[in-house]
This record gives sequence, C-alpha cells and structure tokens, in this order.
Amino acid sequence: MNKEKELVQLMEKKASIGRFHMTARERNDRVFAGALLLPSVLITVIFILVPVVDSVIKSFLNYKVKNIISGKPGEWNNFANYIKLFQNGKLGMAIVHTLLFVAAVVIAQFLLGMALALILNSDIRFTRFVRSIMMAPWVVPTIISGLIWMWLYQPQYGLLKYLIGLVTGGKVSDFAILNNPSTAMLGITIAALWKQIPLTTLLLVSGLTNVPGDLLEAATIDGAGSVKKFLYITVPSIMSVIKITVSMSIIENFKQFPLFWTMTGGGPDNATTTLAILSYREAFVSNNLGSGAAVTTVWMLLMIVVVFVYNRVFKDVDMN
Amino acid sequence: MGAKGKKKLIAAFQYAVLILILIFLMFPLYWVLMTSFKTNMEAYRFPPTMIPEAPTVHSYISLFTEDNFFFIYYKNNFIVSGITAAITLVLAIMSGYALSRFKIKWNKWIVAAFLSAQMFPIVSRMISLYDLLGKIHLINTRTGLILALTAAMLPFTITLMASFFDGIPKELEEAATVDGAGRFQTLFQIIMPLVKSGMVAVGIYAFLMTWDDYLHAVTLIQNDNLRTLSAGVALRYLGELSYDWSKVNTISVVGILPIMFLFFFFQKYMVKGLVAGAVKG
Amino acid sequence: MFMRKRTLALAMAAVMGLTTACSGGSQSAQTTAAPTAAETTAKAAAESKGEESKAAEAEITEPVTIKFANYALLEAGYDAYWNQLLDEFKKQNPNITVELVTAPYGEIVNTVVNMAGGGDMVDLMYGELDWIPTMVEAGMAAPVGDVLSEELVADIYPNILDACKIDGEAYGVPMYVSPFLMYYNKDLFEKAGLDPNTPPTTYDEMLEIAPKLAALTTDDGNKVYAFGLTTASVPVSGACLTSSIHNFGGTVLDADGNLAIDQGFKDAVSMWKTLHDKGYNPENSKLKDLRNLFALGQLAMYYDQSWGFNGVKSINPDAADFIASAAPLKGGNGNGESVLQAGTLMVMNNGDARKAATAKLVDYILSEEKISQYFETVTPAYPSRQSMEDLEVVKNSAILAGAAGAVGNVKPVTFIPTLSDLNLEICTLAQAVTVSGTDVDKAIVDFETAAKGVIE
Repeated sequence: MNKEKELVQLMEKKASIGRFHMTARERNDRVFAGALLLPSVLITVIFILVPVVDSVIKSFLNYKVKNIISGKPGEWNNFANYIKLFQNGKLGMAIVHTLLFVAAVVIAQFLLGMALALILNSDIRFTRFVRSIMMAPWVVPTIISGLIWMWLYQPQYGLLKYLIGLVTGGKVSDFAILNNPSTAMLGITIAALWKQIPLTTLLLVSGLTNVPGDLLEAATIDGAGSVKKFLYITVPSIMSVIKITVSMSIIENFKQFPLFWTMTGGGPDNATTTLAILSYREAFVSNNLGSGAAVTTVWMLLMIVVVFVYNRVFKDVDMN
Repeated sequence: MGAKGKKKLIAAFQYAVLILILIFLMFPLYWVLMTSFKTNMEAYRFPPTMIPEAPTVHSYISLFTEDNFFFIYYKNNFIVSGITAAITLVLAIMSGYALSRFKIKWNKWIVAAFLSAQMFPIVSRMISLYDLLGKIHLINTRTGLILALTAAMLPFTITLMASFFDGIPKELEEAATVDGAGRFQTLFQIIMPLVKSGMVAVGIYAFLMTWDDYLHAVTLIQNDNLRTLSAGVALRYLGELSYDWSKVNTISVVGILPIMFLFFFFQKYMVKGLVAGAVKG
Repeated sequence: MFMRKRTLALAMAAVMGLTTACSGGSQSAQTTAAPTAAETTAKAAAESKGEESKAAEAEITEPVTIKFANYALLEAGYDAYWNQLLDEFKKQNPNITVELVTAPYGEIVNTVVNMAGGGDMVDLMYGELDWIPTMVEAGMAAPVGDVLSEELVADIYPNILDACKIDGEAYGVPMYVSPFLMYYNKDLFEKAGLDPNTPPTTYDEMLEIAPKLAALTTDDGNKVYAFGLTTASVPVSGACLTSSIHNFGGTVLDADGNLAIDQGFKDAVSMWKTLHDKGYNPENSKLKDLRNLFALGQLAMYYDQSWGFNGVKSINPDAADFIASAAPLKGGNGNGESVLQAGTLMVMNNGDARKAATAKLVDYILSEEKISQYFETVTPAYPSRQSMEDLEVVKNSAILAGAAGAVGNVKPVTFIPTLSDLNLEICTLAQAVTVSGTDVDKAIVDFETAAKGVIE
C-alpha cells in the first residue's frame, strides 16, 4: 500500500520535473510568444475584462450616478438589485424577449442564408454578380439600417403599409409593424436579418464550394436523392462552417442594442425590451448603475450558458 | 414529367427564391436612394411614388452646403476606423501567430479570455471604461476611442488570424529556422506573405465593424468635432426636434457609399479571408 | 431622497395678466409653496450680497473657459439661433471661451453625468425642467443663487422658479415656459363644418366633433386623425400623459412622492383607450410624429408644448396659416389643469472664475433682446422673467392667443429622482391600454407594480 503510494509520488515528481525542464529553444519560444501576446492581452484585460469584472462587482452594490461623481464607493446591498429586478417581473420578460429574438434571427437567418447559398452554389446564371451585390446590406452601418427600416415601416406613409394595403385589398389599411406589441419584435427581426443574411450566405456558399464533388457524384450514381445528399454529405462536410456561422450569429444578436434603441426603444408596451435595453434603461435612464450592472451580469451568464449548451450540442453532432 | 422538365422546374423555383431574397436585400436600398431624391412633401405622400415625380437633389445640395458637420463626422470615422483597423491588424498578427505556433500552457486561458471578452455586452463596461479613460485623460479623445474600439475588435480578429496561421504547415517554419532565419524574419518574411488574404480580411473586418460602432462613440466622445458617423447621425437626425426624412435618406446614401466602394474594391480578399478563416477555424 | 412641490398656477396667471380658473388643489399648493419661495429668494439675496453678485457683474479679465451642454445647438431649426447667440457672446466677452458639449436629446443627460464621473463637469446645461431631479440626484446641479446674479434670479416669476426647486432650493432658471396646450387645425375644422374659432373645451365636446374630423381625408386621400396624444416611450411623452391625467383632476404622485392613483387618473387612462379604440389617436407616436402629421394636415388636434410649433413649421412652412391653440381639455371632474414645461438652464459649480463667466452667459441668454429674438425667429413660448411681462412678440402671437389662460392653469409635478423612469412607465401604461388592448384596471395594476419599483 505504502510502497505503491511512494511509487506514484515518485512518478508524479518525475513527470513534473520533465514538465518544467524544457529546452532553451522552448523557453525562448515562451518568451517570444509572451512578448507577441502581451499588448493584445493588456488591451483586452484593461479595456474589457477589468470593466466587466468591475461591473459584476457593482451589481451587488447600491451604486448610483452620484457615487461616480462624488467618488464615493457603493455599498453592499444584499442582492437588492437582483431581488428588485426579479420581483417586478422585468428581468424575466427581458430574458424571454432576448431569447426569442436570438432564436428567431439565428434560425431564420440560417434557413434563408442556406437557401440562398444552395442556389448560389448551383449552376444557375448570374451567381457571380449576385454574390457580389448581395453583400451590400452587410456593410450598411446598423444605425443607418435602423433608419432605413424605420422609413419603410413608417406608420403613415411607409412603403410597407402601402404594400400590406395592396396585398390585403385595402382591408388592412393602417399596418404599423413597430407600433403593435405583437409585431414589433418581428419588425426588428426583419431589419436584423436584412443586415446579417449576406454574411451568413457568404460563409455558407464558401463552405459549399469545398464539399467534395466526387462524393456527391458517387452518391448520385448510387441513386441518392438531393435531400439525402444534402443531409448526409453536404451538411456534415460543412459542419465547421455552420458551427462558426451560427455561433457568430448567436453572439452578435445576443448583444444587439442599437437596432432596438433606435427603432423602438424597447416599446411598445415593453414588447421589445431585451436585456440590452433593460440594462441601458436601468443604468442610464434611471441612473441606477448597480441595477443596470445586475441586468448585464444576468445577461452575460445567460449568454455563457447558451454558448456552452450550443457548443455541447455541436460537439455531439460532430462525434456522430 | 421528364427529367428535363423536372430540372427546369427546379431551376425556375431556384430563380424565384433567388429573386425574392434579392428583392428583400436590395429593395430597401433602392427605396432609400429614391427617397433621397424626393422633396419632403413627396416623400410624405401616400400612396408613395416608386420613382420620384419631381426628382430633386435639394437634400444633397443642402447636405453638402449647410451640413458641413456631417463631413466632420465622416472624416472622423475614417480616421478612427482606419487607425483602429491598422492597430488591430498588427496586434492580431502578433497574437494570432503566437497562439497558433506556440502551444504554451497559458494558451488555454488566453484563448478563453479572448473568447469571453468577445461575448460581453458593451453596455456592461461603458461606465467603468469611462472612469478608466477619465483617469488616464483619454476621455473625449480619438486615442481613447481608438483604444476602446481596438479592444473590442481584438478577440475576434485574433482568433480569425490564428486560424490562418494554423493553415500554414509548421515544416515551412522549421525549415526557415534551420536555414538560420531569426524569429521576426521568419514571421515577417516567410509566414506573413502566406496569410495576405487573412490580413486583408482582418483589416477590412475591423474597419467595417468600427465604422458601425455607436455605443462607444456616444459614450466616450462629447465633442462634436471628434464625433463619428453613427453617433453624429443619431444626434443630428434622430433628435426630438427634427424631422426631415428626405435628408435622413440622403445621409443614409452618402453614409453607405464609401464603405460600399471600399468593400467592393477589396471584396475578393475580404471574402476569401473571412471564409478561409471561418472554414479553417 | 427629496421631494418638493411645484406650483405655478396663481402667481403666473396674475403677473402675466392672463385670466385663469384655478382649482382648489392648486390653490392650497400655492399657499404652502409661497413662503418657501420668499424664504429662498431672501436667502439667495443674503448669500449673494457679497462676492457672488459682484463676481457676476465684474469684468472678466483673465481668460476663462466654460462648458455648455446643449442638445438644441445641433438640432435643425434651433442651431442657427444658438450659434449666433454664442458668436455674439464671444464678441462681447473675448476672455470667455464657451466650449460646447453636445449629445442627442435622449443621451445628453448621460453624457454630462458620465463626464462628471470622469472628473469633468460642465458649467451650464440647457434642457427639460424634468431633468433637474436627475441632475440634483447626481450631485451636479448647484443652487442657482450660488452662481447666477441676484438680479436675474429675483426677476424670474417666483412660481416658475418654484418649479425648479427641490427642498426649497432652485436648481435651474427657465428660459421660457409653456404648458401642454392643444394645437388644432383651423382648415380641417372648417372642412368638417365646425367653427374654427370655438375649439372644444372638454374631452366630451372633443369626442362629439371627433367623428366629423376623423371622416375627413386630405387632398391626396390620406386619413385624418382627430386627436393626437403622444404615447411613445420617451420621458417627455410621460409628462404629456401626466398633463392629460391632470386635465381630469387626477394625480400620479402626491406631494410626498408616493403613488396616488385616483379616479381622475383612471378616467384619463380610459380616455386614452377610447381615443385609440375609435382610431382618433395615431398609435404609439412621439411628439415629433404628431408634429409631422399635424404639419401635413393629417391631424386635427393634438397636445404639445408651445415650441412644438417650430417642429411643425420646419416641415410645413405654411403651417402658421392654419394652426391655432386652445387651452387643454377638461375631463371628468377636473378643470383642465396641465403640466408646465420649460427650456431650463441648469448651473454647476466649478469655482469662482467659471461661475462668473457662466453667470454672464446666462444673463445674456436671458436678456430681453435674445429672448424676444427666440420667440420671434425660433418658436413662440412664454417668458420666465417678470421684466418681460409686456413682450410684444408674446402679446401679439396669434399662435398662442387661444391658449392664453392655460399657462396659469397648471398643477405641480412632484420631483422624484427617478421622474424620467416613472414617465416611461406612464408611457408603457398608455401603450398597454392602447396598442396592447389590455383592460384599463389590469393595466393600472401592472403600472402600480412597475411604478413602485421605480419610485422606492
């Protein structure tokens, strides 16, 4: 028993010596790598991680604007910020809206992007031209894309109102997508999709061009239908692209702020109040920074959970 | 139905979907362009006119002659986005290379830090950031804004760049080392030329994303002479007091054009780069 | 936590020579507020006997730089006026450099607060009256007596100054004031066969004529809305909705800053629902949306601040031909009391040299010459200084004539630090009963829950 233990300890010791005993070249490598990484790490730590940690700390404090100005530190308030948010039901609502928005945009974006990518990857004409011009919405700044869609949605003389009127034969004559609590989220989703579909499509198309052609041909000879080919050959071979595309889209939409802020400001009747809007409102409209920080803390946790689950699910898919 | 007929049907369906999606993507831009040539009274007409009845460049003229601050925002945005993109590129090359080539034990943590940094909402760090920049006297300066934006760009661009370096066989480097090339020489003369498309991708990406920034600029800059486009546009044209849709549309057009030219000019590299980065990553 | 009452009613009306009816509630508020006003004036006077007032009047010999936060400086329709004013000021005071701090209307409070957090406090801020509680809560706004000249402060109508007070201290001086009044379109009234010179005075009368107005269409066939009441989620909409609650004799907060939902409040909310259900009120609109519709002849009546006319005019230069004003409507048992709005200057304390320069600038902004010019070239409103009582431009304003009594018939709003957020909750309430179709009672219960979270 004892001997065994000694042996294990000895082995561990040896291993650890081995680990720390590196060649000069290796040590040099570390210094060099460290030097290359240092500026980026410093900037990231100072401008992102420290402020984020600071904000998590503030979420447990009674910290208002006057604290900043007078330089007084906040006081611990026994989770009062969190308790208040949960009690008045705002946090739950904002979480639901955020998840709904992210799910809607990510899924619709993937489906539409994939449809467009498949078409662009087929042998129809004009694909080069289309591929080139379709990127236009992606480079439009978010604030301007918000303005563009607000103009299209304008309740009195907007184009959408006119089109809906035409389609319904004049039955719906006052369609105002952003003014109705049940459609406002859809309105913002459309604007978000408009800006984001191009990049998704671009990434997926390039993934598709890398799908081994001989595999597809072989499958065709074997008599596989196009659906089967798509599911069993195309999708698995572009899995890494899909994974990246979707995770980029999840993160981007989780963080979406300017579109909501310019288009609805969270209304009507809180129908588009997401965590981004709620945190901004708590922190900068109510000037209660502690409470705003509590929202962003919940927001970050939620995001980490979603991304974690997402990665887990995809890992399993990969193994299959 | 014959195979040929079926093929035709599928093609027709594909065209139909293609056209629908294209209309969705392109029509809003057309509409903005058309509205910018309308007078306000025509813009407010309902039902709307598809092509301006009395096209006017009044909004453009008034933008160019009266609203010279608009071009200040414009210029500022070019300066801020350009410098941010350049710094980001240099740092992303260095860090991406380090992460890709040297698998030291801290790597895992550094990557995790970068990945999580990418996810944190901007609102959550604005106040602390303000505090910090104030202490080092960088508030209300381009330098401060550029540093904050660079920090926001780094996580993604580093991982993107690293994936490019991953794609370069290690043997190449080892061969160079055997030949007696120094570390920097290896990096700059042998490796970097191989990741050109990645560099263009990272540079343009950083430029586009900072061009899009709103929250940083709104919070960190109060001086109108330093303001960037999104913040400036929101300030001048989304205000409580003004309501001039013709001009808003004109501004949208003018605000989009250069960035679009830039993108289409570099599209080849940009697309290759982003795609290669994502596919390999 | 601080609370205070704002009372404007009687003294305003009296000094301005305007007739008004005043409710009992308002009267009692006035009597309690009056001594406070007197006290403060006396205190301010005593305090500023010495160096304060001298500093303001003295020549400024050393170059000094002050910071002025002003969102309007950059808004179309207002920028020319402000830029000219600052140019002139610079010429007269070569030693004073005014550095401008600008941000969007909705962001400027944050901007100024953030700046102060970074150790950089502005000296002067122009904004809404309702921003005072935030600026005081943040520990930024200084009592006006500490900075401005005694002469100027003493010249502000006592009850207007009262509206800027928290715990007896005034933290701002209004440049000009206006209640939420009713603008209406005379042409549309004529078209509907109504007398353009007798606008409705009560909500019931309004509902009676509304169908005729709503039946109209514009020349190009567009719908005409009968009555516009802003409900979109911006703090100023909440103030306008509060005004509508006051119209019904209702209250939102009592004098101690506690929720005080009463019958008048409920009546008002029911009215918002009616207006929406009948399709009279454009959904979820901001004031600027209403101004826009009004300018284009698509809105027959709506509530706005007097300076909303500037927005209307900037869209349709001919609007002066058809616009007319009227006192706010009376509803239920109320008598049409409204809420006072003001373009307010808030001052901050950054040491004597900057205080003196700030005082000079404020004196200049509030000079008769500049205020008259503002009313003439920018927008009509009511002056805040007693010495400008007889300003021709106000007396002769055809646009303001109809609402003449309204400025005296206002009920105080209790300043709480989270007033802006409370205002947003009121907007949410309005949206609940309109676009969401929630039942009035349930919506009010929801509002109470949300509002309590905001107030505590």
